[in-house]
Amino acid sequence: MAANGKLGGENLAFLEVKDVSREIFNNNGKYLKIIDDINFSVADGEFLSLIGPSGCGKTTLLRVISGLDNPEKGEVTLAGEKIVKPSVSRGYVFQHGSLYPWETIRQNIGSGLQAVQGKKFDQKLVDHFIEIMGLKGFEDAYPNQVSGGMAQRAALARSLVLNPQLLLLDEPMGALDAFTRVDVQNIVYKIWQEKKTTMILVTHDIDEAIYLSQRILVMTPHPGRVKEIVRNDLPFPRKRDSSEFLETRKRLQQILNFK
Amino acid sequence: MENSKRVIFNKKYWKGWSSGWNIFSILAVVVALVENLLVASSESVDNGPYRIFLLIFIFYLLFVYLVGYFFSSRVKFYSGHFAQLNISLGILLCVQDLLTEKFGTLALPYFVSFAQILEQMRYDALLLLESTISSLVLWLISFVIGALIGVVLGILLGRYRQFNYWSFPYLKVIGIIPAAAWMPLTMVVFPNSFLAEVFLIVLSVWFPVAFMTIGGVQGILPTYFEAAYTLGFSEHRIIQKIVIPGALPNIFIGIFTSLGLSFTMLVISEMIGAKVGLGWYINWAKSTGNYSQLYGAIVIMALLFSIIFALINKIQEKVLRWRQMAS
Ligand SMILES: Nc1ncnc2c1ncn2[C@@H]1O[C@H](COP(=O)(O)OP(=O)(O)O)[C@@H](O)[C@H]1O
Ligand SMILES: [Mg+2]
Repeated sequence: MAANGKLGGENLAFLEVKDVSREIFNNNGKYLKIIDDINFSVADGEFLSLIGPSGCGKTTLLRVISGLDNPEKGEVTLAGEKIVKPSVSRGYVFQHGSLYPWETIRQNIGSGLQAVQGKKFDQKLVDHFIEIMGLKGFEDAYPNQVSGGMAQRAALARSLVLNPQLLLLDEPMGALDAFTRVDVQNIVYKIWQEKKTTMILVTHDIDEAIYLSQRILVMTPHPGRVKEIVRNDLPFPRKRDSSEFLETRKRLQQILNFK
Repeated sequence: MENSKRVIFNKKYWKGWSSGWNIFSILAVVVALVENLLVASSESVDNGPYRIFLLIFIFYLLFVYLVGYFFSSRVKFYSGHFAQLNISLGILLCVQDLLTEKFGTLALPYFVSFAQILEQMRYDALLLLESTISSLVLWLISFVIGALIGVVLGILLGRYRQFNYWSFPYLKVIGIIPAAAWMPLTMVVFPNSFLAEVFLIVLSVWFPVAFMTIGGVQGILPTYFEAAYTLGFSEHRIIQKIVIPGALPNIFIGIFTSLGLSFTMLVISEMIGAKVGLGWYINWAKSTGNYSQLYGAIVIMALLFSIIFALINKIQEKVLRWRQMAS
């Protein structure tokens, strides 16, 4: 709720995406503009969702923000600093299957922490996240022995233990069934409420975007452009069947369908 | 299909338990022993070691049967599973005994009864033990060196494009040449035969391991590396936590591929230059025309190489535990 207060212009410059374009030559040597002239900013502690049809460049944009890819034009800054490569201060949760299959759930969650803190890393923090992610009893299992929902919660925990300034979520619930998805959505919501981590969520699920985010950035394809940024000021926690919720959904659907 | 009626709990020992087959398997070996005792020999052979071997076999089967029956369900599945195979083994022992030393259908000196092989092995026990140990040491040193070189090169070639660009074309040409082709040269160039043998075995091992390792490294999902970059991994940590474990399934394929090549090279190189070892022993048997010695060495190799194979297989099972699905 507190993060709501930062909306409205006065502190909208924590993350700044300025004139970002990604242009590549594909395998056939064809020039391809994947995303074109993207501009927006995100406030500290804000929750922003990216929606748009498949292939419109959401992942491409998120990768540029993370520093995994660099844009051909424009730049992205976080707290005034230009992003050029990935960093532990920017967590990235992949759509699926990014856990190391040869490490147990506990080892996976602790892997970043161990990389940063060395051998004597904070095991208690790992235990804490095992607890809040509901992974107790499965910490010594390997990723292919747990459900998809558990694996995604573990991937989420692996990024969160590093206490990132910015968490980038690339359809982390996309491959989950409806029940498990709501489950993970609630965990993301709870963590955002508690830690006030700035989050950008890519999703193709309109309800998910409305349920979680304060603003929703709608993209159009070929090339990927920002169509509209929709403010979503419903009070938290949101009710999926409230009339305001349904109204917001209708509005978004109109924007998405409008050619 | 009698098995279809039975509920089978064990995936590995799927034949299931049957008292009948177990008793039959013990009887089959007893028959082999009785046959050896009763049928007159056409050749002069000391059957003592063979009979002791059969007795031990019988007691082993009996022991496993009883332990399985009364105490351990794991042993029960194991003894039940192999009962039918053991019957065939009992029959085979009986038949070879009759065909060779009893009726002389398959005659000396090229065909030798198992009893004669065992007799020869007892006679040469000390020499064989020495040869076996010497071969084992030579193989172990060479194989470890070869596999390590293969893994290290494979990781470098698989992970670093520049290194791959400049060295892989040359390494490929060297690696594809059969190690044995270098034999005449190595025997002259190296100061002693042991080093020459090590070199040849290493030469036969490193390439299959390196080649498979490269594939393993390059097959690792890019997502694993990207996740690592956002998790603060250093290059050293990436090698340790992603490249090596990710390539391990392939590394093991490379190791198993080169295992056979290394055994071949071990025996060949010992035949040529050595004064000890199983290869030398075989060569010596050839020069004296004593084929039971040759068979003795073959029996030992079969045992030794099977044990090595099984051990590496066990290590693989342990190391790649993470690939097993939840049961
Ligand atoms: N490295 C690349 N080479 C060629 N085409 C790419 C590359 N990266 C993305 N694309 C293309 O750009 C478009 C946008 O991709 P992506 O960002 O993954 O979309 P989204 O995540 O919205 O589904 C797709 O059509 C994809 O095929
Ligand atoms: Mg995508």
